[in-house]
Amino acid sequence: MQSELIPSDSSVEGWSDDEVMAGVAAIARGPLEAAASRIDAEGFYPLDIMAALGQAGALGVHLDRHGARFGLSIDAMTEASRACGATGFLMWAHDVCGLYMEQSGNPYLTGDRLDAHALGLTFGGTALSNPMKAFSGIEPMMLRATSTRGGYLINGTLPWVSHIGRGQYCGAIAAVRRDDGSISHEVMFILDCDERVELRHCPVFSGMEGTSTWGIKLTDYFVGEPQMIADPARPFIARIKPAFILLQVGMALGVAQGGIDSSLEVEPVLGHVNRFLHDRPDDLRAELEDASSQARRLAQTPYDGSKDYLLEVLDLRARGAELALRAAQASLLHQGARGYLMSAAPQRRIRESHFVAIVTPAIKHLRWEMARLCEEEFPA
Amino acid sequence: MSTIVGDWKKFICRACGVIYDEEFGDPDSGIAPGTRFDDIPDDWECPLCGVTKEDFALYEPGSATAVAPGEAPAVVPQKTGVVVVGGGTAGWTAVEALRALDADVPITMVTACEGDRYRKPELSIALSQGKSPELLVSERGRDCARRLKVRLLSNTYAVGLSPALHQLRTTAGTLHYTRLVLAQGARPAMPDALPPNLCWRINDLAMWSGVQRALAPRPARIAIVGAGLVGCELAEDFARSGHSITVLDVNERPLAALLPEQASQRVLESWANQGIRFMAARSVVSVTLADESVGAERIVQTQHGEALHVDLVLCATGLGTQSYLARVGGLEFKRGIAVNPLTLQTSAPDVYALGDCISIGGEPCRFIEPIAGQAEAIAHSSLGRDHAGYHHQPPVLRVKTRSLPIVMRGAPSRELAWEIVEHDEHQLSMAQYRNGNLVASLDVGQRKARLAA
Repeated sequence: MQSELIPSDSSVEGWSDDEVMAGVAAIARGPLEAAASRIDAEGFYPLDIMAALGQAGALGVHLDRHGARFGLSIDAMTEASRACGATGFLMWAHDVCGLYMEQSGNPYLTGDRLDAHALGLTFGGTALSNPMKAFSGIEPMMLRATSTRGGYLINGTLPWVSHIGRGQYCGAIAAVRRDDGSISHEVMFILDCDERVELRHCPVFSGMEGTSTWGIKLTDYFVGEPQMIADPARPFIARIKPAFILLQVGMALGVAQGGIDSSLEVEPVLGHVNRFLHDRPDDLRAELEDASSQARRLAQTPYDGSKDYLLEVLDLRARGAELALRAAQASLLHQGARGYLMSAAPQRRIRESHFVAIVTPAIKHLRWEMARLCEEEFPA
Repeated sequence: MSTIVGDWKKFICRACGVIYDEEFGDPDSGIAPGTRFDDIPDDWECPLCGVTKEDFALYEPGSATAVAPGEAPAVVPQKTGVVVVGGGTAGWTAVEALRALDADVPITMVTACEGDRYRKPELSIALSQGKSPELLVSERGRDCARRLKVRLLSNTYAVGLSPALHQLRTTAGTLHYTRLVLAQGARPAMPDALPPNLCWRINDLAMWSGVQRALAPRPARIAIVGAGLVGCELAEDFARSGHSITVLDVNERPLAALLPEQASQRVLESWANQGIRFMAARSVVSVTLADESVGAERIVQTQHGEALHVDLVLCATGLGTQSYLARVGGLEFKRGIAVNPLTLQTSAPDVYALGDCISIGGEPCRFIEPIAGQAEAIAHSSLGRDHAGYHHQPPVLRVKTRSLPIVMRGAPSRELAWEIVEHDEHQLSMAQYRNGNLVASLDVGQRKARLAA
């Protein structure tokens, strides 16, 4: 079982737990912190920083081949998100794309291609927001596939997919149609954003503009064996779903930690009045530590297929989002006007925390899904 | 240069938070790196907001909240009141005990159902009495909540618990508590061979209502898997309602875990009179849907290859406490949430538990009778009132089989033999003794005199 892998040999020199965290911390507090405002507001897509994070191991250590170190992967994402939530999101998208490739077992995707991905030499994200909601019964599947010789032809549009661009790629899922138009099953594949793919500009978002988010339109896009991740897709998604959601927790905890940092920053000068506020840094730090220890425990068995495990991952993800919202909100109240400056971290982090709370799975989806998991099943 | 390199100080703009670091200076304003704050000209302005040097203060970043000692937070704490998880008999009894002691303490109830109140033991005899769900409900959950001044979160599940933070997470959001009372009950434990989408079980009013609806149209063939307390009670109730009943059990006789052989024999004789068929020493290997075009017919397959064709399968193989919440919250769990037998406190501070979800000394005790005493102990302890504590005693056990009532008192032991006290064709009385002292008694059936009375 993957979940029992012991990270005895990290296989890449310089990727021990301590080295990875030291490397990520240096990047986060140096170039990433300096670029955070440009990434957020000006649409600067920090591929140079992502490459540096890849070299440091931050984008590969969760893979089986590097010890399935999910705890370390989450810690690295937390450290980066503390400086820049958008970059934390890019790391998550990149991480799960690598996860799809490795777990596919497809030799075309698990060889050099995955090595380059894990090292941050090439870049790819994930287009699973719509399929994840479709599998939970929230909305219909937007990409459709028809069977053809040697593979499938894919048609349809996705409104926004992040961490892609010309020459990049992402994991995607399409519903396979029978001749009569009914859906037989779903297929999952790596969508290479080559000249066959129409990339459309998205409307301007209120923040996190540097995530290279595009609309995608596919017209008879051919998918063959070299791109195939899973056919059928549902059992594959069921297997990786907890890991997919668990990794996002790094984003939430990092944004929360950043908020606490900002509140603490003004404590020497404003502590005497800030004690009239709720969600003081010490309170939030206790909650963050409690959530972090839950994350560390869950990170040890990312492929646990039990219902209880998935439920607890959903709980952690939801509380992480709530904590990010509260910590970001508290940091602005603690900093006052200085936090409201366009150059200040607290106002940016408020928008990052809102993203954490609404990106799939959003808080409302998480609660909806937890309720569904808790319900007992009875005869019809 | 006489400056001690490295002893740089930082100054923060009180208006906008810009930090002047002596090491780096402010080159854009002509202040060279290494310029002491004191040496900056007085007409220097904050590079971001334009206030003057006077508006800067020495900045010493702290890692902890730097409120002077004794200066407590000036805001009201966010955690207040008691949160009760579970809207069954145990949950409501705890609420009533709390309210009786304190008219004002805020109480929130989190329950997966509607929180409607009913007498659970009645479910075992309700079908043959022609009851409906509406007749069984004594008070709507929302009405009871209003009467007892409770915030009721119905159709809500508890999904996370952090005792150190006094935090309970639910599908309706996060709650803070000063005291938490777990009354989550137990769930039917179903063997893998019995799929939940094909087999009913009855452990609450909603499940009973589902079975009642399924049986309403016409007499049905019913397989009851498990001849324990619930299985035996329902077998008789369903048979009285005109259905055709087959009971299967892995043991050789009904109520094998509870009764001596002679008593089980009486149950079998009573069943024979009522047309209830018993299949002994059978384990179910599968339950499947027969040809879908025929309707809802199910096929129950035993380990001997027998195939029973029935209209409804009822699983009565026992109950188990779900360990999820206890595990997430780090509570000690041993076949149930482990509690202090006097205070009903769990292993976590300010978290209590009662009813079907607990175990005392590793033993669950899933009866109605002890709940009131448990709720009293919890109410007193959680509100800081004096109380002698809960004293656990094995409850009097009544099997609600009307044609053959069974009553057991005391604490029967598997090691002790049952001795016949008296018996005739209508009743059997037995007892267990240890060193000449009575430890348990058993009455099966009714004395003739009482019948005649």
